[in-house]
Amino acid sequence: MRKYETVFIADPDLSDQARADLFDKVRNIIANEKGILLDFDEWGNKKLAYEVKKKQRGHYVCATYAGTGDLVKEIERNFRLTDDVMKFMTIVLSEDMPAEAFEQEAEEAAARKAEETEETVSEDEPENVEEADADQSDDEPLDEEAAAETKEETE
Amino acid sequence: MYRKSQRGGGKARFYQRRKICRFCVDNELAIDYKNPKALRQFITERGKIIPRRITGTCAKHQRQLTLAIKRSRQIALLPFVGKPLY
Repeated sequence: MRKYETVFIADPDLSDQARADLFDKVRNIIANEKGILLDFDEWGNKKLAYEVKKKQRGHYVCATYAGTGDLVKEIERNFRLTDDVMKFMTIVLSEDMPAEAFEQEAEEAAARKAEETEETVSEDEPENVEEADADQSDDEPLDEEAAAETKEETE
Repeated sequence: MYRKSQRGGGKARFYQRRKICRFCVDNELAIDYKNPKALRQFITERGKIIPRRITGTCAKHQRQLTLAIKRSRQIALLPFVGKPLY
């Protein structure tokens, strides 16, 4: 399984219901093809740098997920069919890894989001916070380590 | 690095000031195509990518920058030509 990131621009004039349907469709495709959704980040309506399909604004969404190439093909096929998605772009973030690594990441991401949205402190949350913090420090320094290594090489 | 004054176009100085790559110095700066504000410093008014002899970035980061800028253009975060609509 590889980690992919898809940024797509949805029609800004869609009704909330239609937009929710579209996002649910994307989530269902990921679930059906046995992919793991890691992050579904909505940036909201933003002004475009140039006109796309005669529109000046677009609703941006950045979805991070893990899956096979077939999953990506399926998602893109659906984007092409629907009129609601104006533009999409998929890039590869990481190479082939077994599915377990991504499941762990997905759980951490869910735990992080849970602690952000919930304001009440419950008994379960301190455990999630510890796991999230401990694993968060493993994930993010991947880029920093690579940058530090290259810096040492150049020096 | 020096440039001959006969070449014209740009500086006619004999020795050029050695600039430091700001990405090599600061490891925290990530070159991300989703961040048009940070990338905007590296394109001109008309949307063209500024050459690295002017910004002082190193070759490796210039390549990453170029890739990020081209990706941004694809998803309409940066314009291909001209000023952005906003």
